[in-house]
Amino acid sequence: MLINTGIPTKEDLAKVDPSAERLAQGPVAIVECFQEIPCNPCVDACKRNAINIEGDINGLPIVDFEKCNGCGVCIAHCPGLAIFVIDKTYSESHAVVRLPYEFVPLPEKGQLACALNRAGEELGNFEVVRVISGGAKNKTTTIWLAVPQDLAMEVRSIKAPNSAPNIQNSAPGLQSSPTDTLICRCEDITLDEIRRVIADGYRTIDEIKRVTRAGMGPCQGRTCRQLIAQELSRHFGIPMEEVLMSTFRPPVKPVKLGSFVKGGDL
Amino acid sequence: MRIEQHPILEFDRKEKITFFFNGQEMEGYASETIVAALHAAGVKELGKSPELHRPRGLFCAIGNCSSCLMVVDGQPNVRACVVKIKPGMQVELQSGKGDLK
Repeated sequence: MLINTGIPTKEDLAKVDPSAERLAQGPVAIVECFQEIPCNPCVDACKRNAINIEGDINGLPIVDFEKCNGCGVCIAHCPGLAIFVIDKTYSESHAVVRLPYEFVPLPEKGQLACALNRAGEELGNFEVVRVISGGAKNKTTTIWLAVPQDLAMEVRSIKAPNSAPNIQNSAPGLQSSPTDTLICRCEDITLDEIRRVIADGYRTIDEIKRVTRAGMGPCQGRTCRQLIAQELSRHFGIPMEEVLMSTFRPPVKPVKLGSFVKGGDL
Repeated sequence: MRIEQHPILEFDRKEKITFFFNGQEMEGYASETIVAALHAAGVKELGKSPELHRPRGLFCAIGNCSSCLMVVDGQPNVRACVVKIKPGMQVELQSGKGDLK
């Protein structure tokens, strides 16, 4: 699932991909945006009004593939680097994938670059046919990569030249135990202590806060609240949304008592 | 360590200034937070945790958590990740919850 892996599934992609007929007609933008967040620079980037958002600003963008001419202006405007332009008419054997790139060093025209799929897996080395700088204001570079036709809908990034081999998720030999894992950093409360009070029958964040002091330190629960909710969710087998949240009260950040008296800087 | 080359961001570091860490003279750039300047100088331990007295380093780096609370110019519990260095500033490791003198 996208929310767990960060990788869109075939079903997700089926919702945003243009038809095979449209792809055969020439370059076209594909917006692989699946998360409803308040974001819309793609809408303003398109001078042909081909990108629209459903409902309010949280809606997902929808491309009108008939209006889109595949100019690619939207690629560098997407803060989430989720827009690609696919040109299946580049040659008989090859398609061009235009993709956003925000790493240094930049590849150069004519160089081979290692193509990656959405999961970051290597798909082979292909020629960079164009490198377009985003300009002084928007520095996102657009890379044109010529890939075999059958990889046009798979290649979505390139590996930085001379980049380090894939880093393992954790250092070998590094293990954490519940007695070492801190949940509340302000009050030094470990995962082990949180699990113990849950086993004792405390079942809300507020109860756990009162019995352990987790969430009563300078950060006011900003770090531990979610972690405790996660632990409660796991223990009781309920979704996170059903875990009763603690009460939120001002101030939202630490304020010196003197500021209440005299005013002034926080 | 400082990031020298970034594909998107530009760094206007401003002038070099001197501050003090536990009495020792340190250099940093005027645009940097206390923690950024300390990290660049190789200092990663910012204090000891209040109950277990474990070394504490940078955690959230945006002023949310309490991992980087330090004593700055005599004042305890300053979030060193969001406060910029100033010439002559006295930064000290904080142990525990801090005392007001």
